[in-house]
Amino acid sequence: MFFKRFLCSHTAAARRRHHHGKQWSVKQVTNSNFSEALPEIKACIFNSDFVAVSLQKTGGHSATWQRILPIDTAETAYMKVKDAATRFQILQFSVCPFSVKGSKVIAHPFNFHVFPRDELKVGMPSYSFSCQSSYLTSMAREGFDFNACIYNGISYLSKAQESAAKIQTGNLSPVNGAVEPSSVYSVADTIFMERIESRVKNWIRACKDSNKTEVADALISSLRKLVAGSEVFGSRPSLTIDVCSERQVPLVIEALKEFVDVVPLHVTAKGVGVQAVRAVLTSSKEDKTLLEKEIQDTEHEQRKLVRGFREVIDLISTSQRPVVVHNSLYDLALIHSKFQAPLPSTMDEFKNSLLSLFPHTLDVNHLMKEIGPFDKMNNVQAALSYLERRFSAPIDMDISNQAEEPENTNTHGHNVLRVCQLFVKLCSILKIPLEFPEGERITQLAPSLQRTSNTFSSKVHTADDDGVGIRSGNSEKVSTDNLVFLWGLKNRKSSRNLKNLICDSYNVLSEEFDVRMLDRTCAVVVFWNAGVLDRFLGMVEGSGGEGLRCARYNTYRRVCESGLWKADLAECFDETLDESETLSRTEAKLEESVIYWNDDEMINLDDL
Amino acid sequence: MTGVTSAPWRESFDFDRPDIQYLKIKDSAEKFAVVQFGVCPFRWDPLSHSFLAHPHNFYIFPRQEIPGDGLSNEFLCQTSSLEFLAKYQFDFNKCIYEGISYLSRSQEEEALRQLDSLYNDNSGYSSSNSRNDADAQLVRMADILFTERMKYTVSEWRAGLLHEGNTGSGFRGSLNTMNQTFQTTFFQMRPALVLNGLSSRQLRLIKLVTEKDFKDLAYVHVTGENSVAQKLIVYTDSTSDRDLLMSEVKACQKKDSLVKIKSAIGFRHVIDLLSSEKKLIVGHNCFLDLAHVYSKFFGPLPLTAEEFVSAVRKYFPNIIDTKVLINSNDELFLLMRKGSTSLSKAFGVLCPPIGPGGTSSDVAGKPRVKVEVQVDDQRFSNWNSGAKHEAGYDAFMTGSVFSQSCRNLGIDFNSVLNLPQNEKLQKYINHLYLSWNNKDIIDLKTGKILVESLGSNNNTSTKRRNPKFVFSNTVLLWGPPSKLRAKDIRDCVCKVFGVGSIVSICHLDETAAFVQFSKEELVSDFLELKDSLEREKNSPVSILHPLSKILEGGFVRAANYEMYKDICGSSLSQVLFAEQAEVVASNPKAGVVKLAVEVDSYYPNELLSDSCMK
Repeated sequence: MFFKRFLCSHTAAARRRHHHGKQWSVKQVTNSNFSEALPEIKACIFNSDFVAVSLQKTGGHSATWQRILPIDTAETAYMKVKDAATRFQILQFSVCPFSVKGSKVIAHPFNFHVFPRDELKVGMPSYSFSCQSSYLTSMAREGFDFNACIYNGISYLSKAQESAAKIQTGNLSPVNGAVEPSSVYSVADTIFMERIESRVKNWIRACKDSNKTEVADALISSLRKLVAGSEVFGSRPSLTIDVCSERQVPLVIEALKEFVDVVPLHVTAKGVGVQAVRAVLTSSKEDKTLLEKEIQDTEHEQRKLVRGFREVIDLISTSQRPVVVHNSLYDLALIHSKFQAPLPSTMDEFKNSLLSLFPHTLDVNHLMKEIGPFDKMNNVQAALSYLERRFSAPIDMDISNQAEEPENTNTHGHNVLRVCQLFVKLCSILKIPLEFPEGERITQLAPSLQRTSNTFSSKVHTADDDGVGIRSGNSEKVSTDNLVFLWGLKNRKSSRNLKNLICDSYNVLSEEFDVRMLDRTCAVVVFWNAGVLDRFLGMVEGSGGEGLRCARYNTYRRVCESGLWKADLAECFDETLDESETLSRTEAKLEESVIYWNDDEMINLDDL
Repeated sequence: MTGVTSAPWRESFDFDRPDIQYLKIKDSAEKFAVVQFGVCPFRWDPLSHSFLAHPHNFYIFPRQEIPGDGLSNEFLCQTSSLEFLAKYQFDFNKCIYEGISYLSRSQEEEALRQLDSLYNDNSGYSSSNSRNDADAQLVRMADILFTERMKYTVSEWRAGLLHEGNTGSGFRGSLNTMNQTFQTTFFQMRPALVLNGLSSRQLRLIKLVTEKDFKDLAYVHVTGENSVAQKLIVYTDSTSDRDLLMSEVKACQKKDSLVKIKSAIGFRHVIDLLSSEKKLIVGHNCFLDLAHVYSKFFGPLPLTAEEFVSAVRKYFPNIIDTKVLINSNDELFLLMRKGSTSLSKAFGVLCPPIGPGGTSSDVAGKPRVKVEVQVDDQRFSNWNSGAKHEAGYDAFMTGSVFSQSCRNLGIDFNSVLNLPQNEKLQKYINHLYLSWNNKDIIDLKTGKILVESLGSNNNTSTKRRNPKFVFSNTVLLWGPPSKLRAKDIRDCVCKVFGVGSIVSICHLDETAAFVQFSKEELVSDFLELKDSLEREKNSPVSILHPLSKILEGGFVRAANYEMYKDICGSSLSQVLFAEQAEVVASNPKAGVVKLAVEVDSYYPNELLSDSCMK
């Protein structure tokens, strides 16, 4: 790693670039132009090597202790993020497919306004969501247009919700793909198929007959329809064949294969799967293709209405492009919970589920750590200017969007450009090649990227993280066994005061431990030595009367798992402890987990 | 409001007992934010024999004006409510960008208390500090270097001051490379060094150096004229002068924060006015509105309706609800032709638009009350803001409906001196619908629920649930969706307890249902039987038992009606009832929640103070 001194000549370049940055134009997409933008972004995604993503959300954490703290293990951090991701909402989703050519970044930024409008009147995608007024105020400061978002934001349904909605509303869907004929048919099956065949044959004959004898009386024809069970699908005759079980569906389809003019459709109904098969009769081969196309189109329309913005996520997912994110754990959890399915209960399940959605995710925060200890670089802007100051890595951003109306100079969605700028800059400093030879599709990431892909920075070093060169000078490995949570303090104290208090009243040397306040009610004490910890616990429990209470890491884990996200950590501890006193302490599965005790103060700039 | 119910099962149902209705209202008022507040004072003008109305529409937003305690202002939005607001062209930008912020009385008290403790603590701060100075050894090489350099810089600046006796131009000359970072100014008549563009760690180190090595320099942290935070090193003549300076700075800071808190009160001034004037407050179906007002501007909502009512009485002694008025008075009710008694409908019937001729038409034989509207020194006799569901307009409609209703009741505004004491209104004043769905009316004077709505009543408005719901005979069942079909439950239970054992089954949502038995004993019998069946899950008796069919091997849970209260009292709100019930049931203490400190949330609220005539 080489450092280059910040040179004077560079400032000018930086300024120019900054000035240039003001003119970045990001394509703004709302409900009204979503349909046009979709093919456009599709082309962009498939022509690019990476996709950067950035979200504007309605909140982060409800209380101080509920954000991810250095004392969190991967599991507790995930519990916190899971809670936040379920409660808060995405209002703006910026996507920027980009490729790197030399020192040039070719980027196609899009900014989507998203709002969970109930388009299908089924109570989805979201009954309600939380807002943090501080988030909304800071969005307002950046000029966010809430009216545009709520009036005209793009709605969506997650994958899980889509399948639920299909069952709820019930509709027709074409039989897709060839149903492989099962080789073994029982006697009953064969009889069933034969019966269907003869019935369809009769019906087709009847239809063709009635076409010839057009003079047929209206009454007679309607009677005939009633007898034959014939209906009309659009302008074409159709026949509904009821089935008793899902198993009979392929049998019916198989039987219908005999008739070249018949298009089979599934009829799904609320609560149950396929209820019947509807056979639609077409007059010719051309007519058949026409019908198939018609059905496909209506399905397409329906799908657009249902999936809405999720189409974009699906596109990114099918393209298999590496996804570049900043602040990955929270953002990815949000994406997963809004567009895929409700978040699973453990981190591992989440990881697996996410891998199936995005095979490669690259976290800019994580790359930052490769350069040095910047735990506090939550802010993309701050990180960028830091890099500008310390390294020389000129990057030219080439924003290749057709210039929109020039007066449209709002700054929405510029963050995603900063994310991708930061990413490219980091890679060039770290000497990670980002260019891909012409024509060669990305099947394998550069080895150095491979290592960082799919690790979620959350200021937590997860177990699967080898973390070479990550351990920074001032963070030490501390086992979770050495932590004690302390609450029940009479009045608010600073960690210094508390440390003094502990020194005085419990006769512990100040070198043996360290204290941090987690919120106004609760502190964490780390002991470098387990023996001292045990002595301390005994003393606190013994003294009792002062209202001071303490608990070990297991209790904290339970607090996070319980789903009681109270504003004060102390209250949560109290409730969890009361509960566990009544229950027997059965769960004693001790996980070997290690966290990093960071010597710096814990208050980080909010990642606003 | 940004929403009404935080989950589908939080809506009001026929089988909600009054205490549960209150809990649901409390939950709604705590979770959602108010974004628009309409106030429309009415004044009787004896000369023109008409009312003069001043409609006001306030955009409010729970912005965080003073640094909280790590607690963020958070509120819930119900998607459908936002869509509703959008349908009526609500301006969200205006609300969030320019909405008036507010602070409730209890928030203000809390903030003031914190302020006090902060500045009292600081007096003892310097003494406890001494030990920490030794504690804070400089660990990193960079820190040590930086400290040494700062020591040198500061002492040079100080030396420059002492020698030249003024601004220390010599210092500036010698350190011109750093003059962006250090600038000499004057602070409280003393020379000072402004520190710019340093990281918080660096500033901390500088503070340490100043305190340790320079007895006559003081490190202070002030907020400048244009509210920019500044860090200064100030030169003082002596230790006493330094202490004087420090206390001056402290007093100044305290004053600033005090001013900040006072200005953060914002919209609450309007509420305080309404409360202190003790005027008659008129609302339309306003119990929820009242709960919002209380939780936003006074303090956390009490746990029971009785406590709430007695607390409200202190602030608003006279409240009248036009919905109660219209529904309880036979004459007015007939006028509505038994139709809906929504505000806009009532307004349409009681206050029909005045024809082009300008002659006020009579309403049911009674002369029409003239209402003139004054907005910004302009008077209108036939005002229409055009904005439907705008809070200010709603307030105006409520007031107009009320004044016409009074006229129809035979109240003469010219002769009546004190409207709240008017005997003709006594039957209605301070009577509010706890929930419109159940038509349970709560008396704000006593906190009692009036079961039969106001004696003299017509049958239609007292159409009670039929058959009457007996809470103690009820079992609450919850489990996975689509497992609880009313028919299955009825079949199974009838097989066990006999045909007439079930009175009714009501669904709360797809995951929960109430089963009402004919006798109270059956409740405990059912619960006991369920327990025993689950204990011996695999014995043939329990497998073959008819009840096992609905219990689904323990996945379906059951409890009595009191559990429902605990579940509603929880501050959580899962969308599906079964999920909520699981969390509450597994955390027994979470049921009897103290208040979740989610201070804030709601939407248009029509409230109006009706200035009665002198």
